Amino acid sequence: MIWHITKRELYDNLNSLRFALTTVLLLGLMLTNAVMHLREHPKQLQNYRDTVVRHENRLESSAADSLYKLAEQGPGRLPKKPSPLRFCAEGGETFLPDNVEGGFGRWGMDDLESFWILAYPPITPNLRNISPDVIKVDWGFIIGYVLSLVALLFTFDAISGERERGTLRLMLANSVPRHTALIGKLLGTLISITIPFALSVLLNLLVISTANDVHLSTEAWGRLGIIFLIALLYMCLFLALGLLVSARVQRSAVSLVILLLVWVVFVVSMPNTLASIVGGLSSPMSSDEFYERSWQLKRESEAEFFSRWFEEPKDSTKRIELGGAYVAKDAEAQQRLHEELLKQQISQMSRVRAVIRISPVTIVQHLLESFAGTGFERHLQFLENVQSYAQQYRTFIADTDQADPESLHIYGIRKGMSQKPVSPEAIPKFEDTLDLSKDFNTAATELALLTLFVVVLLSGAYLAFVRVEV
Amino acid sequence: MLITLIRRELLDNLMTFRFTAAVFIMLLLVVANTFVLIRDYERRLTSYNTAVEKHRQELLETKTYSSVDLILDRPPNPLSIFNLGLDKRLGNTLGVYYLYIPSLWDAGKHGTNNTYLNLFSSIDIVFIFEGVLSLLALVFAYDALAGERERGTLRLVLTHSVSRGQILFAKYISAMTCLLIPLLMCFLLVLIMLTTSTSIFLRTDDFLRIGGVIFTSFAYLSLFYLIGMLISAAIRRTSTALMLSMFVWGFLVLVYPNMILTAIETAPQADTETVAHNQIKQIWDEFDRERMQFLANDPVPEDDWDFGLWGKGYSFWGGRDDSPSLLYYNYSGFHFEELLEESEPQVPHAQNYHRFLGLQITNTSDRTWIVRKPALEALYVQPAKMERMLLKFSPVGLYDSATEAWTGTDLNGLQDFFTAGQRYHQAIVDFFHDKKVFESRQWFTGDKRGVDWNILPQFSFQRSDISINAKRAFPDLFLLLMINLVLFAAIFLVFVKSEV
Repeated sequence: MIWHITKRELYDNLNSLRFALTTVLLLGLMLTNAVMHLREHPKQLQNYRDTVVRHENRLESSAADSLYKLAEQGPGRLPKKPSPLRFCAEGGETFLPDNVEGGFGRWGMDDLESFWILAYPPITPNLRNISPDVIKVDWGFIIGYVLSLVALLFTFDAISGERERGTLRLMLANSVPRHTALIGKLLGTLISITIPFALSVLLNLLVISTANDVHLSTEAWGRLGIIFLIALLYMCLFLALGLLVSARVQRSAVSLVILLLVWVVFVVSMPNTLASIVGGLSSPMSSDEFYERSWQLKRESEAEFFSRWFEEPKDSTKRIELGGAYVAKDAEAQQRLHEELLKQQISQMSRVRAVIRISPVTIVQHLLESFAGTGFERHLQFLENVQSYAQQYRTFIADTDQADPESLHIYGIRKGMSQKPVSPEAIPKFEDTLDLSKDFNTAATELALLTLFVVVLLSGAYLAFVRVEV
Repeated sequence: MLITLIRRELLDNLMTFRFTAAVFIMLLLVVANTFVLIRDYERRLTSYNTAVEKHRQELLETKTYSSVDLILDRPPNPLSIFNLGLDKRLGNTLGVYYLYIPSLWDAGKHGTNNTYLNLFSSIDIVFIFEGVLSLLALVFAYDALAGERERGTLRLVLTHSVSRGQILFAKYISAMTCLLIPLLMCFLLVLIMLTTSTSIFLRTDDFLRIGGVIFTSFAYLSLFYLIGMLISAAIRRTSTALMLSMFVWGFLVLVYPNMILTAIETAPQADTETVAHNQIKQIWDEFDRERMQFLANDPVPEDDWDFGLWGKGYSFWGGRDDSPSLLYYNYSGFHFEELLEESEPQVPHAQNYHRFLGLQITNTSDRTWIVRKPALEALYVQPAKMERMLLKFSPVGLYDSATEAWTGTDLNGLQDFFTAGQRYHQAIVDFFHDKKVFESRQWFTGDKRGVDWNILPQFSFQRSDISINAKRAFPDLFLLLMINLVLFAAIFLVFVKSEV
């Protein structure tokens, strides 16, 4: 019987105006998305490759000089690998830094040079950008905004419309339990929206995979499959909402008004408004404060150091030790300050992200970001990769220095460290990796939350429909 | 008769659930967002005040003319609460140096907070209206004609001696009156919140500007109402009319603006940047040759530009080469807190050199600006204008740019500040020439007597006049009104020809 009702719904929808309009709309959007990706992805990839080459060249030239040079200069700029699935979720990547600066000269005097630290440069807002503000059309936009709206437009009259026409009474006159009727309707609408959605997704992937420079691996196809399933789950959420309201309300027009208002509040307005409110609750270090503190740290250690440094005779071991200790201490203190700033910013951002999960569109966008390998969570993963690489790099320097019998093993100063050139192959190279199982872990809460939403709304719709008078 | 019709329609509309629900949601959104926006404005204002104070302090501590950092700060616009536009996004500090003509593209930004939060966009009042108000208008309109036809009441009305035009007119007037209520309530609420906030001061003409925004909102609202009515007149069934209206809304408001700018890339010509950059470089190279020639020809035997001056201080040289903003210049100079006795005889030569240099540099910067200005225009302004034009195919784009013009947060409104900055730059350069600052001793030494910074021309900036705002908003407003008229005519034609 379920199948009967599903089929009827399906036929009903396939001939309707909304089905045709949805198909056209989704195809157009997905095509736009593919075209955008083909235009932008090669550029991002080129940018990434350039930075990687610069990173490697820098390591090589430092290695050819000496181990000290490697220890002082650091690994250079470490780039974030652009995701091949960026078309799925743009994830605000334009607002996230695409690299971490691993070493730039901060100061130098006499025979002392500042040591490298990991600096997390804030993305400098593009002050020359005077283009109008728009949302990039990615799958996140298509699924999050357009598909949810379409789902509401398909269900707002599912029950109230039948009641108005009197066909609901007719249907229930048969020996159909109400839950069967409800599930039948849900499945019917789900399938009838999935058809244009799947078609447009196929078109999108077809266009993208024809291009030479964009290559999708098996793993990427797996991720795309997961994203598709998430989209269906999200669609169910809005279908259930539509059925719920449609069952409770007598007239379809009223049902649509309620649904649209709910949609506007939860999907369009809430994420951004809540983000501003919650973001305002905590205030991490501002950039001015940060520079002030950084400057102060330097002055303090300088004052303490210089009084002793000039007393020691030149080239004495004591002087070398002092210099080395100063450089190392300076780098450590600055590094700690940078980490502190980053930690404060991340915790503020995480709090905001946790709160705005009230809105289903945020949940689905977070999920898409995790599986597409973009966005904030991905950025955190990148930072983690960078930090573990920095650890590896420092260990490598220490080990190589220990292995050199001529070195004084005083870290931080040229005379105290190994001066032999290092073979470039031995140096660890940075590679940014993505891990699907990690993505699953970060996405688990959101996935559970989304499922919970769907279950609650579905049972709500069921209860409403059972109690409804025909 | 017309009055009767209007009264009936008005009562019909006001009593509905959709009206109450929509008003409630609108007010909720407006209050929540105004709260956020006001706080954001206050934060920017504090940041502005701190920056002004800091820059003032830094200026007073400067000892010589050549090392002066004149930094102008752009105050946030209180009307940005209505339409944020570019007010928050673009740079808010502008350095004024004699080395180049300052422009929007050289501006910097003070008071950056957690940049990760830029991931979220801010919602302004106009954005809420764009989405919710248009939706409301369509919800009112979709069954205006189709519904009456379905119920058969249309036939009943037409049996009286009422012309069809009158019916249309009555429906339009009454629905617009109904829609005006939430619109005005929202604005009133915002105004109350604005005036209770202690940090926001609105001038009289600001209220007129807000009036302009309200009028534009009204035109936008009416446009969507007429779109809904056209659909209602053309389509026989209400459910189909509703469906079509919603798709039209989704397309015009949600899909089109985002899609068109994703699909079309408006890049400037590829070599504009390099060509202009090279030209500017050449001009500066020419300047450098003349400088060398001067040094070779002057009475001092050595060709050094520091003239063997010695004392407590430092010399500096450098330059800037920022290709994206086409900013290129070189500078060199020295700054002494005290000058040694034996350097004194050299001072007149240095002064002579700087007199020459000052004149040359200001000339050079004027010449580079002639190349720079059109190039920057082609690089940044043209593509952005093109994008805005594309957006105007949707009423949302028209509404947005008209309200931006009213509030002064559009590109023109922001350019006003930078134009004022350029005028100030000119005033400073003139002052330097008039008072013979370049050749003065205080140009490079701060020993004898410090510089009195209070005699420097003061910078002041007033937002443009309301008439200018109106002039800027007019084209888009005119288009909105014209589309209204065309739609009304179309509805009339469709309705008159249709069978009841």
